[in-house]
Amino acid sequence: MLVSTAMTDALGKYLDLVSDEMKLTAGNVANIDTPGYRSLGIDFDAEFQQALAAGSGVLEAMAPFGEQGNGSIGSAKLKPKVKEVDGLTERPDGNNVSLDREGMQMADAQLKFKIGAAFLKRELAGISEAIHVDGK
Amino acid sequence: MNLFGVMNISASALQAERARAEVVASNMANAETTRTAEGGPYKRQQVVFETADAEAEQSFASQLMGGANGGPVKIGVNGSRQSFLHRNLMMGNDLDDSAQGVAVAAVVNDNGAPQKRYDPSHPDAGPDGYVEYPDINPLTEMVDLMGAQRSYGLNASAVQAEKSMIGTAIDLGRSTS
Repeated sequence: MLVSTAMTDALGKYLDLVSDEMKLTAGNVANIDTPGYRSLGIDFDAEFQQALAAGSGVLEAMAPFGEQGNGSIGSAKLKPKVKEVDGLTERPDGNNVSLDREGMQMADAQLKFKIGAAFLKRELAGISEAIHVDGK
Repeated sequence: MNLFGVMNISASALQAERARAEVVASNMANAETTRTAEGGPYKRQQVVFETADAEAEQSFASQLMGGANGGPVKIGVNGSRQSFLHRNLMMGNDLDDSAQGVAVAAVVNDNGAPQKRYDPSHPDAGPDGYVEYPDINPLTEMVDLMGAQRSYGLNASAVQAEKSMIGTAIDLGRSTS
């Protein structure tokens, strides 16, 4: 029996991808004064579609548990493709980090994370209610 | 993906920007310094930034896995169990080679010609009566300081954003318990 549902699985992938995005944004902001640095990003929608299409990570991850293979839930996760962001103005030192873009990305990631977490909270509350439905 | 790893990246930037502000402060403080250990007037300094792996040394997982003699810490007796734990702790590795922090690569001296001011009574005056002062323009330094301050603020707000995300994730567990 699995406690997780398709919804929690999808939301888990969503939150994973959002924190990946946040990590890249943090890296871009950190390197705002590094000569020659190029902004990095991921295609969020495409990566999320791909992660959903890859199916439930839980079942595959549990089968080979204890074997030497890819036993952890983490390894079932797809690695998003990181690429340089197009269409940014390059400064004379070769750096093309845009403050506006990164600020927006940061706000965007925060809101996405809050939304995903709120959905996950409701979903888990529902499961919890089902567990305690006998009144104990 | 480890959200605390994101904080390490921002922390590396805070560190680097603070180093930059320190160098600016040192330049301003030594604007009139005519004597240094190397001889001659103070030379203006400048920081050079480079991308660096913020997680390589600082992350908790790498510290935990580092062990006393550099090898991995043995968890349990069973090898596969250990590698399972190892993989789980290292889950944030996916983007490590792409998302990177920043570090101060070097602090270089500006070897421009010193400023000469005529002051024969000064103890460091040359035979021609001119004293060599460091060529420091307060305007350049203040602009650099402002840049460092803004970048510091920006990275600090990135830390705030990460904190709120971690807080949201913690709340997730609180409600369902």
